[in-house]
Amino acid sequence: MDMAIRPILASLRAHRTTAFLIIAEIALACGVLCNAMSMIGQNMDDIRLRNAIDEGGISVVRISGSEVKTAASDIPRDLAALRNIPGVRAVATSSDMPLDNSGLTWSFGMHPGATMNDIRNAYVEYYLVGEGADKAMGLHLIEGRFFDADEYANSTLNGELVSSGHAVVITASLAKRMWPRQSALGKLLYSDALWYAVVGVVDDVLCSDDGTRDAGGRGFYNSVFFPISPASALGSLGPANPVNDYVLRSTPRDRDRVLKAAVAKLHQLYPSARIKGQRYTDMRDQYFADASSLAWTLVVVCAVMLAVTAFGIMGLTSFWVQQRRRQIGIRRAVGATRGQILGYFRLENFLLTTAGVAIGMGLAFAINIYLIKHYEMRLMPWYYLPCCVVTLWVLGQLAVQGPAMRAAAVPPVVATRSV
Amino acid sequence: MMGYSMELALRGLRRYPKTTALAVLTVAIGLAASMTTLALLHMLSADPLRGRSQHLHLAWVDTVLAKSQTYRSLDSDWATYDYKRLKTPDAEALLAAHKGTLQAAMADLDAQVGGDKGEPSNEQLLATSSDFIPMFGVALQDGRNWTAAEDAARTPVAVIDSELAQKLFGTPKAIGRVVQIKHHAFRVIGVSQPYAPQPHFYGLNAWTFSGNERESIFVPFGAAIDVGLASSSTDGCDDVTEKSKQYIAVDPMHCEWLAFWVQLDTPQEVTAYRSFLDHYAQQQPLGSFGKKPQSQLLSVQRWLTLQNAIPDNVRLNVLLAGSFLLLCMVNVAGLLAAKFMRRGAEVGIRRALGASRRAVMLHHLFEAGMVCLLGGVLAWPLTLLGLALLRMQDQGFTDLARLDVAMFAALFALALAVGVLVGLLPSWRVSMVQPGLQVKSA
Repeated sequence: MDMAIRPILASLRAHRTTAFLIIAEIALACGVLCNAMSMIGQNMDDIRLRNAIDEGGISVVRISGSEVKTAASDIPRDLAALRNIPGVRAVATSSDMPLDNSGLTWSFGMHPGATMNDIRNAYVEYYLVGEGADKAMGLHLIEGRFFDADEYANSTLNGELVSSGHAVVITASLAKRMWPRQSALGKLLYSDALWYAVVGVVDDVLCSDDGTRDAGGRGFYNSVFFPISPASALGSLGPANPVNDYVLRSTPRDRDRVLKAAVAKLHQLYPSARIKGQRYTDMRDQYFADASSLAWTLVVVCAVMLAVTAFGIMGLTSFWVQQRRRQIGIRRAVGATRGQILGYFRLENFLLTTAGVAIGMGLAFAINIYLIKHYEMRLMPWYYLPCCVVTLWVLGQLAVQGPAMRAAAVPPVVATRSV
Repeated sequence: MMGYSMELALRGLRRYPKTTALAVLTVAIGLAASMTTLALLHMLSADPLRGRSQHLHLAWVDTVLAKSQTYRSLDSDWATYDYKRLKTPDAEALLAAHKGTLQAAMADLDAQVGGDKGEPSNEQLLATSSDFIPMFGVALQDGRNWTAAEDAARTPVAVIDSELAQKLFGTPKAIGRVVQIKHHAFRVIGVSQPYAPQPHFYGLNAWTFSGNERESIFVPFGAAIDVGLASSSTDGCDDVTEKSKQYIAVDPMHCEWLAFWVQLDTPQEVTAYRSFLDHYAQQQPLGSFGKKPQSQLLSVQRWLTLQNAIPDNVRLNVLLAGSFLLLCMVNVAGLLAAKFMRRGAEVGIRRALGASRRAVMLHHLFEAGMVCLLGGVLAWPLTLLGLALLRMQDQGFTDLARLDVAMFAALFALALAVGVLVGLLPSWRVSMVQPGLQVKSA
């Protein structure tokens, strides 16, 4: 090995400028590539976050328009009408849906009288749901129970923005964060004079609000559910802005047909309202549209960057091969095999790439620290570094392949010519 | 000597055309990526109201009779909205004081606006006062603006833009017609041209950059309150406010919902207004809520900076594209170094024949410069393509992705700068070729 490396180092010393440029190029590529890949990973992680509702089977229909006058009795009527659509397995009301880019948020503490600015509070997004919402959304109960009929009937908004009842269902992640190593059942959440007992814990449901997920992406699952009686469900959030979702669940196969029928049915019932029907999967895609477009941009940037780096390596190696044709001929004439010539250029490239990535890893780390400080970037997981290093090694070897083959093809007779 | 260097450089470009093409293409991609992101940043940070915005200031005084409302939680601190708005009584007091050249209070509201017949349409409504239209340069194409007297009388009048007039009445001639807002009649007294400054600096709580969102109807804020329109967000409410009126349809008397902008034409006026605000702040009985008197007077640029109006990912993309350009530059420097050193023997002969180091260096710098200029020419259509791709994304602000004259000039300035930087190392290296040595080996 030593025998192989020494002549390479000697020849690199003779081509300091070009060797320096290759190393700089690889270092830069490594620094940017690691961070770009980690950003792609971060966005893909977000896009693929688990959401324990029946995403594929849910349709959501929203009625809006300030001219719409709805009475409490309209809701059971609407629900009955929607339930009669063939293929509908469950239907319920909800104040909004996870990841629909609007939402109600509140801050709850674990101690009586907890005020909004208590440091120990959890900042949550809450959903006010009507009877049957657990089935309509397809929530997975882990512990306890969902709301009973009394809890639905006795919960209104009563001048507050949160339930006037005393029951709440929270997600497993939130339960674990607030009461680590204990069961959350029967524990109380407080906000000023209000208090709520945890009656059930459901599998993790995502929340829309970015505010809940600062500090390194925790709080994706800070969702809680309150029951709400039909009397105060529709239009309850201020007369200026009556918003409500009807959530319908069917099999994914029936979904599009169910959605169309539901929109038509509500058009019949509310001729002057604006009625918007959406598949839940579309709402989710829309929520993550920015993340996914950023991820694709970065993928393209990485690909172009790798291509540019490869072409650069190819260009410089070709130059070296051409410059050393005579020396290669001499080596061939004194007995070096084609394989040895090939190996020489491969090893040379390997050494340069290694030097480049060594500097590049430091650079990658520095860039990462800068991005964490100034942008919403999380710490790069360690395994991106070796991934990036291997990528550049492979890229270097592929790029050097063409010129190295040409070098190996130099016939020994070149040695006898004077260029 | 310049002419000769240029000629040699041109000849040099034609030798090894594949390497030249690769270098040009690499520069072009790097420049195009940088220029695409820079052009977007440039458009987003442009002055929203050229000629006017330097005189406009956002005035704010803390008058909320409640503790300061920063909420904290396990995950993070989060503040309530902080758009430096005012409660109605304070906005009215500042309007009445009339200390600026012009002043107006304003808030963006959602409203369903109906015409004579047909379905009402959802519109963005600006509840404001009479100075808004002259102060912010809204162009009236027909009719008149409302007066301070009509503000005071809370007269239900409206200025609508020509597109809304067309939508509601089928004609832009809508003066004297009636629009329905919440079952109340507002008489149309003026028709304006569509107005959508970017960014929407006077109402960042509603939106920052808009593709097609704009206020299409302007009404006196008193009249808007009277018909029951209410803001859906506030910066803070007095403790006495009913809870249900603190969050969604907020109480206009006790919650901050109106932004107050004032036009001040000279630095003296700014100073005077600032002390007026300070004085106003000191009269507020906030001591019992543990707050000190607070007031602010912010210029448009300062306000946009404070509110972080330019999306983070726009800056991030500029950084990314910049580092990509740097990579391309190192790459091209490498390619040029290889290209130049190939003619080591030739340079050796030139040097032996008496060419100075400077002449050799100049020739190669020209050659590098030309590669990058060609790259710049090729980058132009690529940049336009990049911007077109950006416009296809629907992120509100991406509609602004265009190349103006300044950025077009910047593209070539950047190309030249890149050319010199990229050429420096390879040219220096080749100018160091020893005359004797090269001649001998050849």
